[in-house]
This record gives sequence, C-alpha cells and structure tokens, in this order.
Amino acid sequence: MRDRARLVFFLLSLANMVLLGLALARAARPGWAAYQRSYHRLEAQSEPNAAAKAAVEGAPVAIAQIILPGLQRVDRCTTCHQGVENPAMKGAPEPFSYHPDISRHPPSRFGCTICHGGQGLATDLAAAHGRVAHWHQPLLPREYVRASCGQCHTKGDVPGVPELAEGRRLFDTHGCRGCHRLRGVGGTIGPDLSREGATRRDPAWLERHFLDPRAVSPNSVMPNFHFTPGQAKDLTYYMLSLTGEEMSNYYTSESVIPSIPYGRELFARKNCITCHSIGGVGGKSGPDLEGVTRRHSARWLDEHFVNPTLVSPGSTMPAYDLTSDERTALIRFMAVATDKDAEALLAGGAKALTPEEAAVEAGARAFVHYGCVGCHGQGAAGGVANPNSQGGQVPSLIHVADDYKKSEVMAIIRDGKTPPLADPAMPAPPLTMPSWKGTVNEEDLHNIVEYLWSLKPRGEGSRW
Amino acid sequence: MLKSILRSIFRGDPPSTQKGRSELVFYNLWLHIHPAKVRKEHLKLRHTGYLGFVSFFLLLILGATGLALMFYYHPYPPRAYQDMKDLQFVVFLGPFLRNMHRWAAQLLVVAVFLHLCRVFYAGAYKEPRQFNWVVGVLLLFLVLTLSFTGYLLPWDQKAFWAITVGTNIVASAPLVGPVVKVLLLGGHSLGIQALLRFYVLHVAVLPGLAAALVMVHLWRIRKDGGLAPSPSGPREPSAPPRETPIPSSPEKSYGLMGIVTGKPTFEVLVPEEEEAVFSYPYAFLREGAAFLATSAAVMALALLYNAPLSEVADPSKTPNPAKAPWYFLGVQELVSHSPALSGILLPSLLVLALLFLPYYDGNPSRRPRDRVLALSLFALVVLSYLVLLLIGLYFRGAGWAWVWPWAKGAGGGA
Repeated sequence: MRDRARLVFFLLSLANMVLLGLALARAARPGWAAYQRSYHRLEAQSEPNAAAKAAVEGAPVAIAQIILPGLQRVDRCTTCHQGVENPAMKGAPEPFSYHPDISRHPPSRFGCTICHGGQGLATDLAAAHGRVAHWHQPLLPREYVRASCGQCHTKGDVPGVPELAEGRRLFDTHGCRGCHRLRGVGGTIGPDLSREGATRRDPAWLERHFLDPRAVSPNSVMPNFHFTPGQAKDLTYYMLSLTGEEMSNYYTSESVIPSIPYGRELFARKNCITCHSIGGVGGKSGPDLEGVTRRHSARWLDEHFVNPTLVSPGSTMPAYDLTSDERTALIRFMAVATDKDAEALLAGGAKALTPEEAAVEAGARAFVHYGCVGCHGQGAAGGVANPNSQGGQVPSLIHVADDYKKSEVMAIIRDGKTPPLADPAMPAPPLTMPSWKGTVNEEDLHNIVEYLWSLKPRGEGSRW
Repeated sequence: MLKSILRSIFRGDPPSTQKGRSELVFYNLWLHIHPAKVRKEHLKLRHTGYLGFVSFFLLLILGATGLALMFYYHPYPPRAYQDMKDLQFVVFLGPFLRNMHRWAAQLLVVAVFLHLCRVFYAGAYKEPRQFNWVVGVLLLFLVLTLSFTGYLLPWDQKAFWAITVGTNIVASAPLVGPVVKVLLLGGHSLGIQALLRFYVLHVAVLPGLAAALVMVHLWRIRKDGGLAPSPSGPREPSAPPRETPIPSSPEKSYGLMGIVTGKPTFEVLVPEEEEAVFSYPYAFLREGAAFLATSAAVMALALLYNAPLSEVADPSKTPNPAKAPWYFLGVQELVSHSPALSGILLPSLLVLALLFLPYYDGNPSRRPRDRVLALSLFALVVLSYLVLLLIGLYFRGAGWAWVWPWAKGAGGGA
C-alpha cells in the first residue's frame, strides 16, 4: 500500500511550520521597536565619537511604561514618545519631541493619557491614539487638552484655562442642575453629567449641542439658551473635564490652585471690602490691607485667618471657614491688591450686609446653584411650561410668603411635591418637585426660604 | 549502553517487522487505545470525516493555549480586561495565543456538532454503542458550557451582556432555574464573584470533567467493537457466543482471564486479512495529518482574524440588543417568543430526546433507506435551530425587533 497520506502529512507539517514562523515573525517585530530605533539614531547624532554613537544606536529596545496606581492606569506612550522628558529633543520630529512646561506635572506622576486621552495600554499607533472601535477616549484635539486640568482642579480659577472657570460659572448660573445631576446634586430630567466628559468625548458634538441642542439630538427637551460660540466653548471645556475619574488623594487634594484671581474671587465673595480698605478705598472698620503682606509674614496671616483673636487679641474679625488653599490664595491676592481692585469690587456692588441680607444673598446663590431656576425661572418668576399642572406652568414663587408658613415651604423642599392635575383624565405633568433631603443642607435650606420671603414685592400687603 | 537504554524505553521489536508494529501499539500507554490493525474502510476520509479526531485535537489545542493564557490572567475586574489589553499589546505571541484559543473554541462547537450529525446519520449510536452516544451528548453540553464560561473571562461589554442574557435564560427554567443562576453567579447579578466562579469552572472543573468523559468516550469505542462500519455496507458481525458462559453467581467460580473474550477485537471483526492494515503507520499517519490540518486551520484563523474585544464591562450601560453567545442565539430567539413554553420546555425536551435517543429508537437497521423518518426528523430539528440561530444573529436589532441585516445601522453580529 503505497501511501499518499505520507505526502499529505509532509505538506501539512510544512504548512504548520510556515504558519508558526509567520506568527513568530509578526511577534518579533512590533511597530514600536522601529520608532525606538529611529529615536536611538536621533540621539546618536549628538554623540561626539563613533564608539559612543554605536553604543547609543545599539541600545536595546523595550516597552516603556508609567504605572500610575493613583490614576488607575498604565501609560505606555513613552515607548514611542521617547523624547518627552529630554530637553535636547526640543523641536525634534514627532513622535520624539520634548514636552515643554510640564515641570509641575511630571510624567512619572501623571503619565500622559489623564490629560491627552488615548489608550495608554496600547502600543500600536491607531490603538494608542484611541482612534479604534471600542475605545471611547481618543486623543483630545490640541486646543481642548487644557480642559483636562478641570479633572483635578475642580474649583476656582485654573491659570491658563479661563474657559474652565467661565464654563463652571455658566453652568451654575443657568440652572443646569435643575435638570442635570452632577456628582449627586441635581434633577433627573436630563442625563446625569457626572461622567459626561468620559462618555461623550467629542468637542465638536458638545459645542454644536450648546449652540442648538436639537441640531445634534433631535428629541432633546433641553431649551436653546442662545449661548454665544465663546460660551459654548467654555461649557464644552467644562463638560470635557467631567470624566468622573477615580483618583487618589494625591490628585484630588489639588482641587484648588491658590492663584491670585482665585484670591480676588474669594475676597469679593467674602465681602472683605465691607470692613477693610485697600489703599484707602473701602470699609473702615478693619485695618487697611495695602502692604499687609509686608507688615506680617505669610505664616502670621494664615494663622490670623484661622483664629483672628488668638493672633491679634481684641480683633473683631470673624473666623472664616477657609481651606488652606483658599487662605493662601487670599494672601497672594493681598500681596498685589491695589486701590484699583478695591474700586472695582465696590463698583461690582459689594456693600456692607446685615446677617439677614447675607442670608438672602446666600439663598439667592443657592437657588441658582441647586438649579431651582431651571424650573421656577429666573428670580423665581415662574414661566416654565408644565402641561396638565394647575395653571399649566411651574408655579412662580414670588408670592409664596402669602400662601405658606416658612416651615411648610421647608417641608416641601425637603420632601418634594407632585403637582395636582388640572385634568384628571390627562397624563401627569412631566415636571415634579424632587425631594432635596440630603442634597440641600439645613443652612442652604434656611437661606433659600429667606430669599423666597424677600421676593414678596415691597409695599404690598397680604392679598387676603 | 545506549542500546540498552533505548531497549528499556522501547520494548518492542523494530517497526519494520509485523510483530514490531503490533508491539508498538500494545506496549505504549498512549497508543494502546488503538487496535494493532484497523479496517481500511475506517481510514477513509468520507467514513468519519475525522470529526471525532478533529474535536479531540481542538480540545488539546485549547488546553495548551488556555494553560499559556492562564499565566497572564487575573480573574477579577477590571484587571481581567486590562490583561486582555496586555495580551494584545505587550505579551510576546499574546494576540496569537488568544486568537488561537478563541477560534479553536468556536471551531470546537462546530466540530462536535458536525460529529454528532455524522454519528446520527451513520446510525452509529445503535446496539452496541448506545451508551457512548450518551457520553458524546454529555460531552457536547460540556463543550457548550466550557465555551459559555470562557466567554465571560475577557470582561468586556460583549462578554458581560452575553453572559447576563445567558444566565437570565438559565433563570427562566422552571423550579431550579433561579437557584442555578444564583449558584452560577454567586449572587443575583453578574460581578466579581461571578467572574471568579466562571474562571474556576472554566479552567478546573469543566476541563477535568471533559477530560474524564473523553477518556470514557475513547475507551468505549474499543470496548464496543471499534468504529461502526459503513451504514450501507454489510451487517456488523456480532461477537461469537462464548463456548461456556460465565455464571454470574455471587461466588467466584471463574478465572479472571475468562472475562476477556477469546480473541482480539479486530480478529473477530475482520474476517478477511486484506481488508485490514496495521495501525502503524497507516492510521497514525492519518491521525497525525488530521491534527496538523486542525492546528494549521486554527493558526491560519489566528493570523488572519483578531479575537473581538469591546469596551470594558459596564453594568450601567446595557447595549441594545444584548445578545447571548452565537450558539445560544437559537434559544434566545425561542425565549423571546415565550420564555416558559418555547424557551425552556422545547429545548429541554429536545435535550432529553437527544440524550435518550438510542433507547427509544427501536429500528435496528442502520441503512439510511430504512430510517427515512428518523433522518428527516433530525434534519428538520437541526435546520430549524440553524434558522433560529441565523435569525438571532443577523435579523434582530434593538429591542429584539426584526431588522434586515443590510439595513443601515442594523445590530447584527454577536
């Protein structure tokens, strides 16, 4: 029996060897190794003698990775981007160029992807840059990379990124929280935005959405706020910073950058100018603050913020609840503050307030912050449609002082309320008052009620 | 010296002699499951398609690649997913190993299914091979369970939701369903506990069971008289009756050798010397070729196509539609019509019908023309399942609504 099976067996053995060889060849020559070799050649150019050149060129290739347990990621970007921390590579061709101005954020602590996006684990070009299916964090376009600062610096001004602070301010003042939940606070009519920057990492989409929500999602119930293109960009920056990334203390402790602009913001918010003057402009009940940082050390000033009477016996200054970063920001601002700043603050409407007025003002801020304006309207004037509720609108709160006791209003805010139906046969109104218990603290609750009571038009008696 | 060492390892005569060829098989632990001689007819490709061998070899490939993958895998989220990325991007031959394991697993489902169809067509489950059919059907279910448990391990969206759907199908089974689901998941929903359980099942429990059953399956082939002859050929000769039957009284009244039938099986079954050849080299060459063809096919697939990997599993984001692994899509399609009746009752009845087939199929003939009813019923069931599977795979979109696969944005694929 002359056997054809021998030939088949032989050919199949050959096929197996070829296939295995192909697999080995593919595995042995990864794309990143070629990049590293060209980087070595680039480095070798500056070597003086042939022996050193050969040594640099012949350096072994290996995957480089930055392990970042605090950010729960591993970045292998430096496998190809070898020159990131090498100043000699300034102006070198990509992917080898030096990354300027990151001394505060060394790649060894921050990696690359937390700011730039992309897929840190990947080692081939398309996958690493995240431009592949099933990876939702592609590299951010260059002009939006700065939005990533807002992931850690969640409060105050971020130097060099005015868009972030402005985006946050727009978000707070337009009542976005009335419909959108953010880190556990806010309504449920629109989507939760706590991870919007991670799930919708598309600046172009976000900007178009802010300019006209229905242009990109046709069924959106979100009203068109007629933002300017600049405002849309600010909000887009803010959205891109909301990645909900889990980070260790090391990163979250830097939520506030103690910058001068943030100090000025605090100085205004705490109404310091009502008691203190700068260069003779402002309140007179406290000392003038011009040159205060020369008269006292930063340490003394810091202690003074924490406990004024301890450091300066007989002081009438109240102890404000300021974090260390906030105190530093105020001290930095005071070091450069001039009478011009004082005039600007006074022109901005800062004035001495009684405790009652302060409560009303804080209540007005809380009313905006928690998004009450989203449904009850600017100045609580109502006007937002709510079909099949009595009156067809979310009620105005201007006359609430006439119809309720303060304790009743507080109870409604705490427990929520379902509006009664105008026509029992029709579907229930879409908007309901949610329960704010656990979200709005007692102090804010009290302030909001004071604010609402202050809305009752002056000189108008009870309607009954 | 060297000669005596070799002699102590290879005890038989050199295989150039006929005695040596027989001894090569008899004296070797791994080869002696074979007879020393086999019928020429059984070596023909068209007789068995070597489907049993292919399935066995795929199991070997899966064992080898699976063992290698275990060195790189941590069975807890989200590390499990990161391990997939590491395999893809930094482990030497990592993508190749994972692709081989993935494609071999898919091929195995196909191979065991075709093997079952072939055995049914040949009527090879009939007397005296009834029990080996049952073992085979159990192995089919083991293979499906192995594939199912392995499906979860990459911990990506596709795995997470396919297994969520799969375990919900299990939970809709009457009486035991909910309990089995909780046991399988280690809780009420898919999470860290479930991944560990699936991992232990996948790498220890199920492979152990499968190895044991495969051994029984192969051993029973010999004990049941070798491969079944061609269904259209002459009737299989039954073993000649014992001259003096062994009494089955409680006392031992016989020598142990008496249990062994007088002559080797092949001599009983092979009346004419020219119909048989020595296993060495004829059978072994062909089995080797079957192995090489199997591994070549798996390697070629692994080089050409990457095993899929979607986003990391996100319990808060349900894809629509969420589809079970492809081979269960027929069941999912049935469940979508009526969970209790068509989804569980019908498949359960079919499983029982398959398992006990040899015991209620009273037709002794193995000729296709005597088994028109059985063959057409079987073909009907198989075709119906394939149709349901294809519907589930290509014609079901968001909300399990009917979509045409060529329509834009159709949710095809699983």
